[in-house]
Amino acid sequence: MTSGASSIVLESVSKRYGSRQILHELSFTVDRGEIVGFLGPNGAGKTTTMRIIAGFTAATSGRVSVGGYDMATQNVEAARLIGYVPERPPLYDTLDVRSYLRFVARAKGIRRAAMGAELERVSGACRLEAVFRQEIYKLSKGFRQRLGLAQALLGSPAVLLLDEPTAGLDPGQIHETREVIRAFGEDHAVLLSTHLLAEATLICRRVAIINHGRLLAIDSPTGLQRAMEQTNRVTLQVVAPPQALRAELLSLDGVAALNIQASPDGGPMLTVDVQVTSSNGVEAAIARSVAARWSLHRLERHQPTLESVFLRYVKDTERA
Amino acid sequence: MSGALAVYQKELLTYFRSPIAYYVVAVYLLGAGYFFLYNIFLAGETAMAGTFQNMGILLITLAPLISMRLFAAEYSAGTAELLLTLPLAPWQIVLGKYLGAVSILLLIAAGTVVNLVPLYLFGTPETLTIVSGYIGFILLGMACLALGELFSVVTHNQIVAALITAAVLLAFWFVGHLQTFQASDALRSLFGYLSFALHFADFIQGLLRTDNVMFFLVVSAIALTLTAGALQWRR
Repeated sequence: MTSGASSIVLESVSKRYGSRQILHELSFTVDRGEIVGFLGPNGAGKTTTMRIIAGFTAATSGRVSVGGYDMATQNVEAARLIGYVPERPPLYDTLDVRSYLRFVARAKGIRRAAMGAELERVSGACRLEAVFRQEIYKLSKGFRQRLGLAQALLGSPAVLLLDEPTAGLDPGQIHETREVIRAFGEDHAVLLSTHLLAEATLICRRVAIINHGRLLAIDSPTGLQRAMEQTNRVTLQVVAPPQALRAELLSLDGVAALNIQASPDGGPMLTVDVQVTSSNGVEAAIARSVAARWSLHRLERHQPTLESVFLRYVKDTERA
Repeated sequence: MSGALAVYQKELLTYFRSPIAYYVVAVYLLGAGYFFLYNIFLAGETAMAGTFQNMGILLITLAPLISMRLFAAEYSAGTAELLLTLPLAPWQIVLGKYLGAVSILLLIAAGTVVNLVPLYLFGTPETLTIVSGYIGFILLGMACLALGELFSVVTHNQIVAALITAAVLLAFWFVGHLQTFQASDALRSLFGYLSFALHFADFIQGLLRTDNVMFFLVVSAIALTLTAGALQWRR
């Protein structure tokens, strides 16, 4: 093992399947004690990146190291440091939960004497006690997801790779899973792949944004929050004098910018696109203020989408 | 070695918690029982040679059902993503899985021993010939399963893996017949050397020859080495 400050290091990693370039020169690091969110839409290259770091597939070019071990030549040594939860939990349906965890623990080299305590620890952390003796094919989706996480936690790996770990869970289970990840991330390196903006901003220290196999940005959740705020929009349909309406809306707290469009058929109805900050109640203030003076026909709040945040990032990067 | 042992134990558990192992063992034992009854009681043979010959062909056709799931099922179920990212070297995975399949083979062999009871009750069979036949049977099965494991690693589809394995095993079984059509001595020797049936024939006649033992062991070793290589290559 070579010395290295970062637990996960990607240097100019590219991946090609036939003529399709999946990843383009990806470089980033994840340090011990931090949770890094890996954010991107479906098909962005998140799973491929996770698989390369986990050692399931190899990079076409570039270098990946985990805990100082090169994944190209020392993947077995590196695998001892990695807990990996693929997008689809890798479960043997015919086994029961206990046999499955025992198999993974044995494969990870956990000694027989420590096996019982280790199984108890991970099943407690993932709340699997109730289904410990049950066959896996009988488990609900939530339990399957948590069992996938439990196998990754066996042996307390230094690095945890989580590919969409909360997909398909109910809100309570999502909260519990995030708490497990948060606790684990205090003294381990965690890379968390997700397409949920909220998840990335809630539990990650840094967020790497990927799209079409390219890394767009690595930012703090605050930076991401800023980009999200800039993509919050409210659309109004109102009959009002344009100048007065503009002045009224811009005087309100939380309104950043607006664009007024006249009706294409020459009618009096205006369509107004208002860019707002994410502070709560801003649409209510707009509604109160506009409805008090003019005829408000429609008001709609648009939540920021991943795509809109990407576009904002791309614009900001170009501007910078 | 502990990694291979972990995979082996998992394999045994998954075999016996799915119907496929029970199905293969039951069909094999029924088939072997029928051939035994036919050869000994109906055809009036006083040795096990004919029965072993039939058991060999039956093994060639059923071994692909044991080996087809070894890797193809892991890929189709998504568990390959776990197996290949655990701290296990490819040879540990390949060996663990192979030993699991060989355990089913040994179970089948043990199940057919029941057939010998009436043979010993009503006659005086040559024990050494029978032992030699069983050794040949197990070595033949080991080679078949090793080849089956190799073809299971190249596809995600268990049926495709079974069909390729069955075709290759049948080719290895019947390749000896091509000797008759060859004018060239070299080709005749080659076809004879590659024939599973001809190597197996010596065992069931009671000839326990080192070259025959080595043939099946070398075929198994080559297939397993290629499987480990293919596993690494798929990364």
